Amino acid sequence: MSRATHRLRHLPWSSAVLWTVLVVLIVAPVTTFLLCAVSPRLFSLGPQWFTLSSFSAAFQGHTLEGIINSLWVSTTVATLAVVIGTTLAWLVHRTNLFGAKVIGASLWLLLLIPTWMTTVGWINVVQPGELLSAFGLNTVGLSDWFFGAPGVIIILTTAALPFSYLIISAGLRGLGSEFEDAARVHGAGMRRALTTVLPIIAPALLGAFAISFAEAISDFGVAFTISQGHQAFPLATFTLFGAIYQQPSNFSVAAVIAMVLIVATIPPIFFQQRLMRGRSYAVLSARTRPVRRLQLRPLPRAIVSISTATFVALLVGIPLSGAVASSFTSTVSFYTTTGIHWTLDSYRGVFNPPPAYGGSLSGPLWTSSQLGFYVALATLVLAVAMARRMTVPNPGRSQRVADVFLLGAVAIPGIVLAAGYILFFNQAFLTHHLVDLYETTPLVVMGLVAASIPGQTRLLMAPVAQVHAGLGHAARVHGAGRWRTWRTTTLPLLSRTLVWAWAITFTKTLAELAIVELLYVPGHEPASVQIENYLGSVHGAVGAAATVLLLLEMLAVIGLSLGLFRVLAPRGWRRIGQVGAMA
Amino acid sequence: MSRPGAQVELRALRRSYGDKVALDDVSLEIEPGNFVVLLGPSGSGKTTMLRCLAGIERPSGGGILINGQMVAGPSRFVAPDKRQLAMVFQDYALWPHLTVEKNVGFPLATSQASKAARRETVTGLLRRVGIDHLAQRYPNELSGGEQQRVALARALAAEVGLILFDEPLSNLDADRRESLRIEIATLTRDAGASALYITHDQAEAFALADRIGVLNLGRLIQWGTPEEIYRSPSNPFVARFTGLAGELPATVTEVHGDRATISLNTSSSTVLTQCHTRAPAGAQATVFIRPSAASLTPDPQPGTLQAEVHDSAFTGRGYEHAVTIEGRWRLAKIFSPTRFDRGELVELRLDPASVNVMVDEDATTP
Repeated sequence: MSRATHRLRHLPWSSAVLWTVLVVLIVAPVTTFLLCAVSPRLFSLGPQWFTLSSFSAAFQGHTLEGIINSLWVSTTVATLAVVIGTTLAWLVHRTNLFGAKVIGASLWLLLLIPTWMTTVGWINVVQPGELLSAFGLNTVGLSDWFFGAPGVIIILTTAALPFSYLIISAGLRGLGSEFEDAARVHGAGMRRALTTVLPIIAPALLGAFAISFAEAISDFGVAFTISQGHQAFPLATFTLFGAIYQQPSNFSVAAVIAMVLIVATIPPIFFQQRLMRGRSYAVLSARTRPVRRLQLRPLPRAIVSISTATFVALLVGIPLSGAVASSFTSTVSFYTTTGIHWTLDSYRGVFNPPPAYGGSLSGPLWTSSQLGFYVALATLVLAVAMARRMTVPNPGRSQRVADVFLLGAVAIPGIVLAAGYILFFNQAFLTHHLVDLYETTPLVVMGLVAASIPGQTRLLMAPVAQVHAGLGHAARVHGAGRWRTWRTTTLPLLSRTLVWAWAITFTKTLAELAIVELLYVPGHEPASVQIENYLGSVHGAVGAAATVLLLLEMLAVIGLSLGLFRVLAPRGWRRIGQVGAMA
Repeated sequence: MSRPGAQVELRALRRSYGDKVALDDVSLEIEPGNFVVLLGPSGSGKTTMLRCLAGIERPSGGGILINGQMVAGPSRFVAPDKRQLAMVFQDYALWPHLTVEKNVGFPLATSQASKAARRETVTGLLRRVGIDHLAQRYPNELSGGEQQRVALARALAAEVGLILFDEPLSNLDADRRESLRIEIATLTRDAGASALYITHDQAEAFALADRIGVLNLGRLIQWGTPEEIYRSPSNPFVARFTGLAGELPATVTEVHGDRATISLNTSSSTVLTQCHTRAPAGAQATVFIRPSAASLTPDPQPGTLQAEVHDSAFTGRGYEHAVTIEGRWRLAKIFSPTRFDRGELVELRLDPASVNVMVDEDATTP
């Protein structure tokens, strides 16, 4: 028996299940897609068994421009996100800033809003005839500027900022004041103390860069939404989409672009992993002392607070106000010689559309809600199981490989995954002999679950690892079986996290665009696809109204989930996660 | 409250993690109602042994029997919840989402007793450990000592024949440790359960145990009563780990059975008779001196050694001194009701009956 066969035979069943899920949902579709870059004949997409011609086709003209733009824009976005994220995290967690909680909450809100929604909002502000025009401004120049690199960078930085902020905040929270104290008592001034201490959170900074870069380079929403009716700034994800949807479609060129997107995310992740070897973001220990905040004097405190609040308000407020304002106007023109015309026509249009609008939003909203429910449930079950498997003490080779794989899989663009699904689940050996899932709801659910699992598993790993194994052992030795131990010990401790994870997956699924745009079942368009249809027509205001409604549903789902948890969960469950409850 | 204590047998127990052997061929037997303490340094395998017994770890070899029933063996592994035991964890392992009352009542959830009876049992236990007024609090609202009392009450609530203690006092301050140690000893013995308690603190071990097992590098080095371990350590490791004032080199001059006359290899060549040893005549040996075997006097007397006081510490009932002999050998923890100042020359008297003499080839590693 070879060593590999021996290892396979001794793989625990839970690892085998974990890997089967990952292979079916992610590895096989993505690998299939990437393979067609060099072997089109393998998938009946061309005459050659092996060719590199797709590479030369991809690295020229508009496609090359898209790839280059994606690379430099993502690097810029990641750098900006880390710099701004570090500044905001430090101000919120280490100073006596006014309104720190509101800033934290605003960034959470940004985390929920997909980039296509932000883009819709910004378009509704800067496009001639929209919000700024209502104030008498000529926005033609601004609009041209916005639909180029600057607009893309602003929107993608807005989208990446919450990730960066949350990761760096976690690093700063774990950085007890004893490190600064030690530097200060040994003669370091404030600045030297800071420069001494900041390298301790270097893994967090690099992690923030890696995730911001991956988010930016894999984004589809900005490129797709901006391209609706505009001479757009080309980005790789949209050129990939274009390669699939052009006539005739060119999967091989699309696969080369996908390869570039995936390969580009490897260096930041690799360096972050290298730096993280043997340690975690958390430097918390039983002896970590609570942080001491820098007490700014009244005037500097007021100036810093107002500046920070204004900055965050602009980031959140501009797109939101743009979308909301546009949704309440009567026609394509916001500004008329007779002033602003406020109306609910767009909202009426959403649910009772004229034929030209392309259908009501109620059906797509229901479809998206169903998808959200099932995807969130499936993702939660699988992600918890994987997180538990990954956080066992003394992890084996299987867990270590899965850990790195999931980290890399976070960066697989949704558009790549969806393209992989189209190709893999259309293969004759599956459709003729096993199951034909193409253009079915289960395939959409699988694609959305595949997109959610890597991120959710990694997010759940920390809270799952925090549930001390001793608590479960205590339940077992005091007479509880496996199920009772899980129900009475693990579930209560994770309940708040699970509710959050479910709600966030639900809302993300509601607004997901890249996967559903490629995989939706004809006649059953999800909300995001329908909204893009509105936006692609002359009825942009209806699209804005639909966007606002979808955002409201997302907020309602989170509010309802947390509200139900508050009402239904026992008091002890609700205490977990509150300050000091785990002490 | 009384219940039959469990009889426990470990047969050639072995646990390894890859190449690292944590437990190596350990066999011992705990009689019903006995309070057994496993004593050993960090990494000696004592926690592994406890976890194997609890069913949290699966042994790599050997077997475990509780009341004659194999619970872990080559082809059998009984889950922790089926082993009829309870455990007090080092970090308490109290469930943070449950009140004190519910934590303590957890093991009773599957019992046949009525809800009222279960509640009464919990209240009684909380009263016994002195925290009945904290019944509705959550663990994070308690001090470390109070949390450990909850853990103790939970273990007692299980009404099982075997209670395991995983260094339960190591996170507490000295005062609380002492009071809780007495409560553990009293309540566990009152309950009639057998107990297996692990610690690295020899004072705790001697105070609690009916029998002590000394572990090192995964092996059981010595097994006996506290008196046997203290008076007749089987090798230098046990002697050192169970508390020494210091060591001196010596030559065995005469041997009569297990008693010998030795000459210390100091410039005074002080002779001690009637020492415990298995060393042959003429052997080079080391004298292992317990703190209780040494005393200080101000004036020279026959058989004493001159020493210089290196340090003295007030202990309440007297003074503990550290002394140096000929500038080379240091003995510590030597009690005297009177204080000798640093730098003062004193006379050191050794009680031959309370020292252990072992040949040098033993004195390397256990």
